[in-house]
Amino acid sequence: MSENIIETSGLTRNYGDICALKPLELKVPEGEWLSVMGHSGSGKSTFMNLVGGLDRPSAGSLKVGGEDLLALTEDGLARFRRKFVGIIFQQHHMVPYLTAVENVMLAQYFHSVPDEAEARSALERVGLGHRLKNRPGELSGGEQQRVCIARAIINSPKLLLGDEPTGNLDHKSTVMIMELLKELRAEERFTVIMVTHNQEVAAWGDRTIYLDDGVLVREERMGEKQ
Amino acid sequence: MAIILKTIPHLLAWSVIVLVSFRGFTGRRSVVTLSSISGLIIGVSGSCILFRSFPGAIPFGIIKSILGLSFLLLWGVSVASGYSNAVRGEAFCRSKQFFQSSICAGTVTGIISMVAGAVSVCALPVTGISALSMVFLALSSALIAYFIVYAVRFIEKRLPESFMVSPLGMVVSVVSLLLFSSSSILRLDLFSPLSMKVMKGIHDFVHQFMESILIPDHLFVRPIVWKYIGFLFGNGVGFWGAMVIWFAPVFLIITAFLSERLPSVAHIRQGAQRRTLLAAAVTLRRCRLVMPLLSILIFAAAAYQSSYPSVEYWDPKPLAVTASQAGEIFIPKKGEINLEDGKLHKYLFKKGDKEARFFVLKGPAGQLTVDLDACAICKPDGYGQTEGTVICYYCKTLIPLETVGKPGGCNPVPVQFTEKADGVIIDAITLINSWGATVQATARVKEGGK
Repeated sequence: MSENIIETSGLTRNYGDICALKPLELKVPEGEWLSVMGHSGSGKSTFMNLVGGLDRPSAGSLKVGGEDLLALTEDGLARFRRKFVGIIFQQHHMVPYLTAVENVMLAQYFHSVPDEAEARSALERVGLGHRLKNRPGELSGGEQQRVCIARAIINSPKLLLGDEPTGNLDHKSTVMIMELLKELRAEERFTVIMVTHNQEVAAWGDRTIYLDDGVLVREERMGEKQ
Repeated sequence: MAIILKTIPHLLAWSVIVLVSFRGFTGRRSVVTLSSISGLIIGVSGSCILFRSFPGAIPFGIIKSILGLSFLLLWGVSVASGYSNAVRGEAFCRSKQFFQSSICAGTVTGIISMVAGAVSVCALPVTGISALSMVFLALSSALIAYFIVYAVRFIEKRLPESFMVSPLGMVVSVVSLLLFSSSSILRLDLFSPLSMKVMKGIHDFVHQFMESILIPDHLFVRPIVWKYIGFLFGNGVGFWGAMVIWFAPVFLIITAFLSERLPSVAHIRQGAQRRTLLAAAVTLRRCRLVMPLLSILIFAAAAYQSSYPSVEYWDPKPLAVTASQAGEIFIPKKGEINLEDGKLHKYLFKKGDKEARFFVLKGPAGQLTVDLDACAICKPDGYGQTEGTVICYYCKTLIPLETVGKPGGCNPVPVQFTEKADGVIIDAITLINSWGATVQATARVKEGGK
């Protein structure tokens, strides 16, 4: 049985009086594809931000890859993100005046040192070998999201987080992106946590958890209902 | 109080040396602590004994020679590091295990602290020091060393880990700090003598070389060439030549660091892991560059301190004197000026359009001496007096008072005189002739003191 890459115990996040995430007990085995579903304001993104080291919990414990995120300083947290996590956002968050390959190299720069050949090869892997020198504004939504995937996996993260990565895409592009992620996961063996509204997208995962008002209300494994 | 203040820059330099040693010899804190403290005490006591045993210039000469050797060692190390990088493609210090051993750490820090202690003593008026003062100085140095080392240990623990000192970085920083410390002591300063030697070397070489090809007039190199090589005869050529020699080792070491090959990562399949290793190697190189880069500043400070010493020279305005009907200049021992007070007293004698500047001085041996205020090799910029020496303003050579009155080199040209009970008598014609015959550029006779 594989080890747990994420372990939470009583994980809570409050924003003033608002409790965005109520004490959460969750274990995610290494290599699993976990889909997180729920309506707006259910705490999905809060959970993802906590797991990705972008935010700090108000209470409870959170271990990712054996690292106690609560014990880390700001610098330690930055190092953890750099080494451990790749994130794909719905809004891409690319630098508009850099080309596709430069956007990928930027992630390499913050991780260690840039390597253009490797960045090109990553873009070729996601099927953008012909779009290396195009800026984000010159790419379609699906292509931009593929650049984001290349950027997210370039540093070989152990944990890939997706925050509604297909939210802005049509059905065809969504399927392409999900197939690409599946292929990459099979090759790189990273763990995926995918936050989504879309039941179809969630179905690509090994397991789906449902959050409602910050509480884990339901959990489903692929091909079963609990 | 003033004496304590004099030692502060030297003790500060030593503190940084100890700090660098703690970081250079990681895991040898106790050895470095012990050897630093004992080294300083031995250095202070040893140099006191030296000054008591050999009053005069000998102790300064010994300590200056050790400093010179340390600079030569830096040169050797820097050339070797560049060579091993360029030829063998690997870092200079291969025997890291030996470098990190207790024996090496103790010996190196002990010797460095001994030199630092000796240099600090030279800043104090220790000539003819009594046995009691010597014991007091040794005890004080023990107490001060103890406090400084423990303060440095406290600071060192709080420094970031990225502040690391490699063996090469340690050599360059220690030598630069020792030279900085010594540059404020005229008799230990290395930069000014170096620039003088360079200047004289270039002058002699160019002179001999050009003369050999210009006489008889060469087919291509004609006398007009002299117009274009004038800059080689200026004062600046010595300064800039010395600057090159002074800074070259540090730049060689920096170049050696920069040209070190990055680790081979071709065998690593994962790109991120490959880049992480490369990034770590680049970061390590940057951290190792910190000390050599800081050393450039320390060397620059030493050169500045040497070029603009904060020492005040005794340099009185020359008094005009006249000759008697018999052509004799008489200077009384007592009166307005006391010739036997051990200070340099300058006079100016004019006869027609000719003039000569000279001084009278009573040396440490109790002998009066009369000399031209110029030497036979430099422009006659004159001399100033400071503790134990006179300095040639032109070439910055320090001449111990014991040797003033003896001819040769940059020593003031001695003038024949007759000592009487009440004064000294100098023959005016001899004086004027001596000036005219030996002084290089009489046009630059100074009217006033500096």
